[in-house]
Amino acid sequence: MQLGADNEFSWIINIAFFAFIMIFSLYGAKFQIWQYLKQIEIGLHEMKRMFVESRQTAIETFKEYGLSEEVVAKELDQFMDYFTIMPVDLDPAGILKRLDHLLDVRRDRFQEFVAELAPESGESMNQNLENTLEVTQVLGLIYRVVRHFYILGKKTGSQIMIMQIHMQMPDLLRLAKAYFDAIGAFSEGKPIGDGVGPLVITKFAREYGATPESYNHEISREVGYYMVEVEGRTVYALRATGPGGTVGKPGFGVKNLMEKYGNKISRIITVDAALKFEGETLGRVAEGTGAAIGDPGPEKHAMEQAATEYGIGIEAIVVKEDEAAAVGIMDKKILDAVPEVIERIKTVIQKRTKPGESIILAGIGNTIGIGL
Amino acid sequence: MGMISKLIGIVFAAAGFILLFFGMNDTSGLSFVYSLLGLITMSFGFALLTAGKPKEEKPPPPTVTEIRCNDCDFKEIRDFKKGDYVLKPVEDACPKCQTGMTIEGVYIIREEPKETYNV
Repeated sequence: MQLGADNEFSWIINIAFFAFIMIFSLYGAKFQIWQYLKQIEIGLHEMKRMFVESRQTAIETFKEYGLSEEVVAKELDQFMDYFTIMPVDLDPAGILKRLDHLLDVRRDRFQEFVAELAPESGESMNQNLENTLEVTQVLGLIYRVVRHFYILGKKTGSQIMIMQIHMQMPDLLRLAKAYFDAIGAFSEGKPIGDGVGPLVITKFAREYGATPESYNHEISREVGYYMVEVEGRTVYALRATGPGGTVGKPGFGVKNLMEKYGNKISRIITVDAALKFEGETLGRVAEGTGAAIGDPGPEKHAMEQAATEYGIGIEAIVVKEDEAAAVGIMDKKILDAVPEVIERIKTVIQKRTKPGESIILAGIGNTIGIGL
Repeated sequence: MGMISKLIGIVFAAAGFILLFFGMNDTSGLSFVYSLLGLITMSFGFALLTAGKPKEEKPPPPTVTEIRCNDCDFKEIRDFKKGDYVLKPVEDACPKCQTGMTIEGVYIIREEPKETYNV
């Protein structure tokens, strides 16, 4: 059986066969790159849609607080490109101090911008607006970076550039989608999965008689603490001040508490949300050693430094979440993990501290939608 | 529409296969024409068979507010209202014991993922 065998047209089949081999051996890679570019293009359209829609949500939210849509849109677009230059690391001495300073300046700038753009908004809502702005910025940044490599890859014909961005595309889209789904939470002030740390702190402190009035404000920037007595021990339960969306500076809060009550404190317990592995259950509670905090460095360093200086134990209790759950509206499973975390804190206090000692309990996370 | 297009797809794929098979066994000059036509018809049939509806984006699950009485076991779950936050004292008194109530949770219930991995 041979296609077109023994007839006057069989030479066409032979030519077609050799042409096929030649074309695919010489231009196979080109076809594949063309296919990669098309797939990146589809992803880029999706990213652009998410960015445009989140920008619109941000405009709608901001315009409720005093300024017209045109002014808000113009100012917002200008601020979309706002960037932070990381400190020079060729001379690493004092880099964390410099980074902390830069982050403070950046935060001041954001607060100033939000106050100008939403003059009729209160302090708590300003923090939510800041979060909304940051989410829109992140989506804009992801879109612009991917577009940059797509166009550059197309211009230069660099296969490695195109392949790299193509390989990272599913992960980038997942990240963008997580932030896109979260914008509603930030603009409406709903609690997010990352807020489990502060939530645990307040629920724990309330069990031992704490009230919003007993909360001591500003031990560090936007961070305060409750002082409660737990089975003969004094617990300084520290968290960022809500219900506006802020993470504050809890690392420096711990450091300041250590400086204030250092000789009495025998243990630091940190509570935070942690990224779960695929296959792990959402809301699973895990324990470990170290400071559970996901900042760029200064906060974690402040905590570790304080613990090392005073020679005390520092441990972490985390609630496992994926990115979408951490930045999205709080899932019921995360809320259901709170009693277990509180039980584990009680166990740590009973087992590893003695009556008469003091403990710092730090809840790390964004306080959006979580009251005192 | 779904079922009909699948049936048409099967018919086309089968017709294409017959045409291709006929073309391959034919020694006349038209054998490529039959084969080519067979391949085209088959691919059209398979395209119809495998085409699905465009993925519809599911609306996100509603956010709910869980309110609990500070004294008794009364619990109320209602839709989220702007201004609700966790641990906020509620103005309304408990309908059961007339004491204060607090928002104990603001959350969503996500759908369980369909894929399961036996590893």
